[in-house]
Amino acid sequence: MEKLTVKICSGTSCFVMGAAQIQALEFTPPEDIADKIEIIEVRCMNHCKDIDATHRRGPFVMVGDELVSEATYEKVVNKIREVLNKDCK
Amino acid sequence: MSDSLFIEIGTHQQQKHGEDCFGDTIYSKKIPEERRIISILSDGLGSGVKANILSSMTTRMAMKFVESNMELLRSSEVMMDALPICQVRKISYATFSIVDSELEGKTRIFEMDNPPHIFIRDGRPLNVKCKELSSPKWKDRTINISQITTQEEDRIILMSDGVTQAGLGNKLYPLGWQRQGCLDFVLKTIKKNPHISAHDLAKAIVHEAIEKEVEKKAGDDISCVVLYFRKPRKLLVLTGPPFDEDKDKEIAELVSYYDGKTAICGGTTANIIERELCLKCEIDKTSFDEKIPMSSIMEGIDLVTEGILTLTEVYRMLKEGIDKDKNNAAVRLTRLLLDSDKIDFVVGTKINIAHQDPNLPMELEIRRNIVKKIFRLLQSQYLKEISVRYV
Ligand code: FES
Repeated sequence: MEKLTVKICSGTSCFVMGAAQIQALEFTPPEDIADKIEIIEVRCMNHCKDIDATHRRGPFVMVGDELVSEATYEKVVNKIREVLNKDCK
Repeated sequence: MSDSLFIEIGTHQQQKHGEDCFGDTIYSKKIPEERRIISILSDGLGSGVKANILSSMTTRMAMKFVESNMELLRSSEVMMDALPICQVRKISYATFSIVDSELEGKTRIFEMDNPPHIFIRDGRPLNVKCKELSSPKWKDRTINISQITTQEEDRIILMSDGVTQAGLGNKLYPLGWQRQGCLDFVLKTIKKNPHISAHDLAKAIVHEAIEKEVEKKAGDDISCVVLYFRKPRKLLVLTGPPFDEDKDKEIAELVSYYDGKTAICGGTTANIIERELCLKCEIDKTSFDEKIPMSSIMEGIDLVTEGILTLTEVYRMLKEGIDKDKNNAAVRLTRLLLDSDKIDFVVGTKINIAHQDPNLPMELEIRRNIVKKIFRLLQSQYLKEISVRYV
């Protein structure tokens, strides 16, 4: 099965908003998803510069092709499970 | 100009055991207009605060005199007259060694009462001819003046008598380590590592001297200055996207034609270079750190880091010292800066709107300001040659 790509932004503004905590996924991912995902660190994806969408804030993480804003470790893990489950069905 | 030599000055000191202040003083100064560097080591009589005052007064005065090319014998008389007289010994006293060097090669060394300098050329000691001068007023003092044209890979080592007398009282070194001991150590060290930096060599000498001491406790102030004449190591630091997008290509070309190492600080900047030069870029996970974004690996580029957080941390470490047990992007960048002699900054002035968001949990410095602080520090404290270009 192809792995689900998770892109964590490590650009400046995402980083100060807490992206470093999400990077823990890379080193200690929860067991149930550990071998189903591939973590990619990326530089600024420009979402932070999208001033018209002020309701959305970093850190930004892409789970597959879904964007998670104001991402936290839990939020991303939940999103990953959700996407993986959807794919199973 | 670009081919003239660079003089790297490295110093290391250890105060006498039990004292909290250095009795020896080291003071170096660059005079860029004259392409000249002056470095002075002075040892004050005794140790502690009193010695510190004597030696710092001596270095300051000597610097003024040498800088303004005043005749040396006369200057030394003035210095001796000016030094406060020691209540115990009824003499005013501080020694000095001065190296006055022009980048084109002419170097003069003035010494009074410090152990004679060591001059290394081609891995061997060189005895530089010297003239003796003495003052009618202070008869027991003589000043030695040596002059030589320096070449690439020459080294001059100045030391206080704490180095040569290290080990006194230790049965293994009845007369202390002595200048010869120190010289042998220097030759051995250079043979093992021919390009050892001035800083590392000075540190190694002082540590070795301490090794000789009884219980490894410094019996006197131990100080060492190393001047290393060599080709400058160049570094290009590119940070920030240019104000004008038309300049992207030009900036990228700067990087590909630069004759030295290159560092890129900033995600957007890295994106520009990646796109313009069609390079592949990958995050370097070995640089993981909770406070500093990871660096990336890009072919042909020595270091790629995030921008403002990394630079802010670099500035802190330049001020407070490098975090030795870390290997994050900021530590790597600081090391790269410190290992270079000539640093060319190219600073893009486009403002990153995302950084102006008042909801960010911390204030982010404006790139231009932090770069300014960094290069001022590199210039004044680390004597680096800096150029800055804003684009
Ligand atoms: S820093 Fe993450 S999207 Fe810009």
